[in-house]
Amino acid sequence: MSSLTSDMIDTMFYRMAMARAIERLMLRHTRENRFSGWWHPGEGQEGAPVGATAALRHDDYLWYQGRGSAWALGKGMQPGPILGDLLGKMTGATRGKGGGVPHWADYRIGVMGEGATLGSVYPLAGGSALASKIRKDGRVSLANFGDGTASRGTFHETLVHAAAWKLPLIYFCENNGLLVGTRLGDVCPTTDIADFAAGYHIPGVSVDGQDAVAVYEVTREAVARARAGLGPTLIEAKVVRRRGHYAGDPQPYRTDSEFADYRDPLELLAARVSGNKAARLIDEAGRAVQTAYEEALRAPSPDESVIGRDLYHVA
Amino acid sequence: MSHEVMGYNAAMGLALVEEMRRDDSIFIIGQGVATGGWFGAEKGLASEFGTDRVIDCGISEAFEAGLAAGAAIAGMKPVVNMGFGDFALIAGDEIYHKLAKWRYMHGLDVPMTAVIIFPIGAMGGAGPEHSSCTEVLGMHFPGLKVVVPATAEDAKGLMKAALREPNPVLFHSVQGLGWSKGEVPLDPEFIVPIGKAITRRAGKTLTIITYGSMVSRSLAAADQLADEGIDCEVIDLRSLVPLDWDHVLESVSRTHRAMVVHEAMTTAGPGAEIAARIQERIFFDLEAPVLRLGARDFPLAQQADLEAMAIPSVEAIIAKALELARI
Repeated sequence: MSSLTSDMIDTMFYRMAMARAIERLMLRHTRENRFSGWWHPGEGQEGAPVGATAALRHDDYLWYQGRGSAWALGKGMQPGPILGDLLGKMTGATRGKGGGVPHWADYRIGVMGEGATLGSVYPLAGGSALASKIRKDGRVSLANFGDGTASRGTFHETLVHAAAWKLPLIYFCENNGLLVGTRLGDVCPTTDIADFAAGYHIPGVSVDGQDAVAVYEVTREAVARARAGLGPTLIEAKVVRRRGHYAGDPQPYRTDSEFADYRDPLELLAARVSGNKAARLIDEAGRAVQTAYEEALRAPSPDESVIGRDLYHVA
Repeated sequence: MSHEVMGYNAAMGLALVEEMRRDDSIFIIGQGVATGGWFGAEKGLASEFGTDRVIDCGISEAFEAGLAAGAAIAGMKPVVNMGFGDFALIAGDEIYHKLAKWRYMHGLDVPMTAVIIFPIGAMGGAGPEHSSCTEVLGMHFPGLKVVVPATAEDAKGLMKAALREPNPVLFHSVQGLGWSKGEVPLDPEFIVPIGKAITRRAGKTLTIITYGSMVSRSLAAADQLADEGIDCEVIDLRSLVPLDWDHVLESVSRTHRAMVVHEAMTTAGPGAEIAARIQERIFFDLEAPVLRLGARDFPLAQQADLEAMAIPSVEAIIAKALELARI
């Protein structure tokens, strides 16, 4: 029995629908050759971020790396600053420094940012988790990563200390089985990242990442453990990367048969939205995204004063 | 009593104690810090502040530096003792990307206090992976501040400044000076501002621009050169980022001759930038090219005689100054 209320499910669905609308928009935007960066589509993977962030408190720390925009939207960011950044406009979350690789951050709601060197947020999330432990502020830190970056040295360095110190940290892997075009099994002794948890004496949970509600439930448990001072959990959400590594990737390394059993996370959650509300929420989300896009198109680009901004803080 | 004679590392430790007493968001992490630290700077910290704030860590420099970035973004003031400056390269992504660039790339104008202690330089046979002068790396990646104290007094004053600085500081302590003693002010508000050079010796013939381990050698060389009628001005930069260009240029525009002396390797070392900048800014005030004297471009050998041969000696500084004076 899920602990989610129907309001919570509606919010999750609406955020997921916004993420999907942004996917569609960015593909169109890229096809029209209007994009000066690389969009890394998150279509098919919206369920895991939205499910995980639904289990977090507004002041919990999120360090993300994922594809698409669902992590930021899930934590409560609005499409305006997200699209403003993707289009490199002053209205973006970074105030003019945006591009294809998102660096959306909003410390007020715990969106701490993305490490663009993949798999680099482990120690940073360890740092905010240690801060919470020292301050006893009850916050949890979530480090998001992909299966490919579980090979990073700092995966181990951080988790070994976090487990020893029982830090309020959640390792959240989106396992889509692909490192750009390389199969995880070709470079890793297991395709189940949750297996690694055993060595750290922490729980390792594998969950169907297409099912946002299932993801919510396992994350909720991990959050409760972390807040109770019981230490980290490694969650592995099995997800499907529906599109290429980047928008325009011809994907010679994939075949259509891979998608024979594909289940769309949006459709899975729609079945849990009451009445005929799902269609209305999709419509609202689409309009919110379209409005934000039009505003971003009209918004000013950065001038030269932006290039030196935010380098050093003056007290 | 307003001053006390103490060692360079002990002075750093005193700064830590004073600041940790006034600001409970400061914590220190590193290998062995809770047991007193390898070089004594952390002696007694754990017994006063407990192991929640004085944290022993495994051998994982990338984790320590990344943790500092994350904790600082979350509002704490971490101090990491990296043990050796060489280990900057183990934690490259965490220091030169995350600490330096996180706020810039996310568009955040927020304070971010973090102090990374990098003990640098030769200490009598520590070997090529435990003796590097890595301070030039901090000059090449904007977003960090870089200091190198040359005296016990500055070790305290710059550490105090670093702990009150709203930006990450790479604090290079000079390994060879760790136990050298000096008068240290006990005033808890005594601070050496970051970005301010100091003239250690006034002179008229030429300016020696130096920092860190080469300050005392440059002063010794200047004393001997004075006997030959060469009157050296010796500037201790103390900070490399920001670098006190006004102070340097004012001196060189008076003496018309300048040389840079540092323990870091010569090629693409800090002296290359300093010499280039002087020539760009005040070329027509110069009567000679700006000379450089740094370590020879070899890995610093573990064999102590070879190690000494690689690093500028007092005699080498004298020879270079004579060369400069005669051009």
